[in-house]
Amino acid sequence: MVDIEIEIDGNVVHGHSGESIISIADREGIDIPRFCYHKKLSVAANCRMCLVDVEGNPKPQPACSTPASAGMRVHTNNEKAKASQKAVMEFLLINHPLDCPICDQGGECELQDVAMEYGSDVSKFNEGKRIVADKGIGALIQTDMTRCIHCTRCVRFGAEVAGIVEMGATGRGEELKIEPFLSEGIQSELSGNMIDVCPVGALTSKPFRYEVRSWQMSSVQSVARHDLVGSNVFTQTHKGKVKRVVARDNESVNETWISDRDRFSYEGLANENRALTPKIKVKGEWQEVSWETALEAAISGIKKNSAEAFGALASKNATLEELYLLQKLTRELGSENLDTRLDVANPSSASALETTISLTGLEAVDHALIINSYLRLEQPMINHRIRKATLQGAKVSTVNAKAFDFNYRVASSVLSAPQNTVVTLSGVLKVLLESNSQALPDYLKGTKVNQAQIDIANALSAAENGVVVLGEQVSSNPCADQVAKLVEQIAKASNAKTLNASATGNTLSAEKVSFKPNGGLNAKQMFDADLNAFVLLDVYPAFDCVDSAAAIENLSRDDAFVVALNSFEDASVLSFADVILPLASFYETSGTHINIENVAQSYSASVKAAGDSKPGWKVLKVLADLLELPGFDYTDSSQVADDALSLSPSLAATEVDIIAMEVPNIATVWQYTPYASDVLTRHSQSLQQTQIGQVSEATVSEATAKILELSQGDCYKGVPVNINETVAEGCVFVHTNQARQR
Amino acid sequence: MIKKVKKLVKDFGLSEIRAGMKITAKQLVTDKITVQFPEERTPISPRFRGLHALRRYPNGEERCIACKLCEAVCPANAITIESEMRDDGTRRTTQYDIDLFKCIFCGFCEEACPVDAIVETHIFDYAFESREGSIIDKEGLLAIGDENEKAIGQARAEDSKYR
Repeated sequence: MVDIEIEIDGNVVHGHSGESIISIADREGIDIPRFCYHKKLSVAANCRMCLVDVEGNPKPQPACSTPASAGMRVHTNNEKAKASQKAVMEFLLINHPLDCPICDQGGECELQDVAMEYGSDVSKFNEGKRIVADKGIGALIQTDMTRCIHCTRCVRFGAEVAGIVEMGATGRGEELKIEPFLSEGIQSELSGNMIDVCPVGALTSKPFRYEVRSWQMSSVQSVARHDLVGSNVFTQTHKGKVKRVVARDNESVNETWISDRDRFSYEGLANENRALTPKIKVKGEWQEVSWETALEAAISGIKKNSAEAFGALASKNATLEELYLLQKLTRELGSENLDTRLDVANPSSASALETTISLTGLEAVDHALIINSYLRLEQPMINHRIRKATLQGAKVSTVNAKAFDFNYRVASSVLSAPQNTVVTLSGVLKVLLESNSQALPDYLKGTKVNQAQIDIANALSAAENGVVVLGEQVSSNPCADQVAKLVEQIAKASNAKTLNASATGNTLSAEKVSFKPNGGLNAKQMFDADLNAFVLLDVYPAFDCVDSAAAIENLSRDDAFVVALNSFEDASVLSFADVILPLASFYETSGTHINIENVAQSYSASVKAAGDSKPGWKVLKVLADLLELPGFDYTDSSQVADDALSLSPSLAATEVDIIAMEVPNIATVWQYTPYASDVLTRHSQSLQQTQIGQVSEATVSEATAKILELSQGDCYKGVPVNINETVAEGCVFVHTNQARQR
Repeated sequence: MIKKVKKLVKDFGLSEIRAGMKITAKQLVTDKITVQFPEERTPISPRFRGLHALRRYPNGEERCIACKLCEAVCPANAITIESEMRDDGTRRTTQYDIDLFKCIFCGFCEEACPVDAIVETHIFDYAFESREGSIIDKEGLLAIGDENEKAIGQARAEDSKYR
C-alpha cells in the first residue's frame, strides 16, 4: 500500500496503488456513473457505464477495474468519456422497458438517474424489445426480469455475501437471463439485500409492491431489535404507517446489509391482530374501556396483593427503557420476582458468559468453534462476519445437536445431544489443558477423550485468533451454566475470544438493568409459586415459555391477577389476563437497544402507535405514578435511558460445579424458525410464507425414534417427525413455527 | 382669432356627434359579437384547461395506472391518490381525488401523465352546492371522462400536430 497521487478532472487526489479509480473518485466526491460496481461486491466490469478517459490509453477504461497508478491523468467528462457514456447508456436502454410509471423503483432508480444525466433523449432503436418471462422467487422479492440490465450484482451478492448461489446468468448475448437455478425460490436469510443492490426495478420488495411511490415516503433512522446486532435501518413511512424498511450503512454494526427478519418484520405492524384498545375482564367477559378505567383496574388489582406475591415478566425484545421502568416498579413495590428468561429450561443455571469480541473482530478470526447454534438463522449478521472470516481462510468447527446447513464449510463437526454437551466440551478442555501442560481440575480427571474432541482442541489451540460462540439452543439445556463455564475455560485455555449468543433480542438491556431476580423468584419458580399478581410486558406464554402449558395453567388460576401489556391480541393471553393494556410495537416507540458489543443505540419512534396503544415506557411510568411509587418523574424516554445506562450491573461471579446433571435420557431441543422468534415476525405474513418461515419438523435419528416409538410422519409435541441421521442420538431437534406443546 | 372661428364651426356643426353617430351607424349594419351564454358559446382553444376528467381506453379499461406523477407535479397539492395491486396484477388507484378549490388549472397533471389519463376538459361552467362538492372523486372524474370522451379526443387530435 503506497500512497500515490493521480489527477482526476484536473484535481490532484490521493489513493493507494492498486486501488481502483472509481473508489478514489467516490472518496473524493467525483461522480462516475456505474451499475455493476458495488463497494461491497467483487468487480465485474460488465456494465461498462463507468468508462473514463485515461491519458495515454487509446480507448476509454472502466474506472471500476482499472487500478490507479502514480501520475495517472483521468478525465471523467471530456468528449471521449462523454461519448462512451452516452453510447453505453443507449445500449443499456435498448432492451429496458419504458414502464417507469408502474415500476416500484421509479424515483429511486439508478438507471433513471444516470439516463437523465448521461443518456440521449432519442433512441435510434426501432427493433423489437426483449421480453423475459418471470419465474417467481418467493414471497419476499418481486421479479420483473424484462427490466434487468445484467449488472449481476444480485448474482455476486448471492455468491459472495449470502453464500448461497441461487441466482445465475444463463444464455449468451440477447438470450442472457438472470434467473434462479431452482424453482422453489430464494432461500437465503439475507435475500432482501438483493432488492437494495439491484440498480433497476428487476428485483423489488414484494410486500411493498404498488403501495406508495418512493418520493412519497419519509425516512426515519431506526434500529432493528430482533437480534443481538441491532442493525441500523431506515423506516420509510407514509401517512403514519411504516411502508418499508431498508438498510442504513453502519460499518461497525451491519455494514450495508440487514437480514430479512429486520427488513420485512414491519409488515406485522398492520396485522389485524394488533391490540388497539384497553380492555378489562368483567365477570369473564372482555370490555373495551378507556385508559383511565383500565389503569384503575390494573392498580387496584396489584394493590390488593402483597409485594411478595407480585411478579413481572418481560419479553427479551422490550426496549431498555421499558425493562428499566418495569424493573424499578417491581423493586419499588418491594418484590424481587422479575425475569425475561422465559424460554430457558433452567433459569437458575442460565448461561452467564461474557462476550469479548467485537463484530469487526469476528472478521479477523482464524478459527471459530460454534456450540449449540444454528448461527446462520439465529444471528444472520454475526454469521455473516464469520463467513467473511472463512473467506479469508478461517476454519469453523461445531458442536451441535444437528448438522446444520451453514453457508460456509464446516471443517469438523461433533453431533452432541444436550445431555452430552458437558461431556463433549470437557473432553475438548482436557485436551487443551494437557497440551498446555496445565493441571487438570478434578472434574476432568475421569473424562475420556475421542478423536473429534482432539481435532477441535488442536484446531483451537493452533489458532491465533480463535473465537468460541455459544448459541441459543443451550437454553434448552438444564446444565446451561456448566456449558457456559466450560466455554469460558476452553476459551481461556486456547487464548480464544468468546461470543455469547445464547439469548437474543435486547437481552443485554435486561442484563444492564438487572432484570433478573436478586434473591427473588425466577421465571420458572414464579410459575411454580402461585403468585397472585403479574405484570406481563409483551409476553405470549404459548410461544415464549419453555413449559407453556404449565405457565398458562398457573396464570389462569382464579386468584392470579394478570395485567398484560400486549402489542398483539393472543388467544391464550385473553384467556388468563384480567387487564390488557395495548402496547406500541417496534418502530412505534422510542427506545434503546444494547447490542453484542455493549453499544447502546437509541432511536425515536418512526410512526405514531397504532390505534389507542401507547409506548411501553409511558404506560409503565403512569402505572408507577398511580401506584404512588417515588422516582418516576420522567417526561421523555431519553431521561429513562440516561438513568438506565448509568447503572452498572453487579456481575457477581457465581461458582459453577461441573457435574453431569441428571437429564432425561432423550432431550428435546426446541428452536423457533427465525420468523417465529418474536411476536412481530410471527405476524408478518410474507416472512411466514418463506421457506425458512414454513419449516416445522422434529428431526430424530432412527435409533432414538425407535425408543420414542415414532415413525416418519408422526407428530412429536405437535410437530411432524422427520427421521434421518443428521441429528445426534438421544435427542429430538424441533425446528418449528408453531407454539410449544407438551 | 382663426382658432376661435374653427372651434365655433366645430361646435355648432355638431361634428363630434356626427363622428359618434357614424360609428353607431356602422355597428348597426355589421355582425354582432355578443353571444347568448349559455345558449351560445365562444369558440375555445383545444388547449383550454377546464374541469378535469379521467379517460378510458376504447375497450372500457381505465387508463390511470396510479403512477402518481400528477400528484407529485401538482403545485397546489390538489390531487390525492391511493393505489393497490388489482387482482389481475396491474397497478390501479383505489382513490383519486381532486380538490377544485386548491387546483389552479395549470395543466401540469395533464403534461405529466404518461398514459393521457388525467385531462382538463373544456368544461368551465360548473358550480358546487356544498363545501365538500369541490372534491371530485375517481367515479366522478371517470364519469366526466365518459361523458365528454368525444370532445376530449377531438381536442387532443387537433393539438397533436403542435406537440
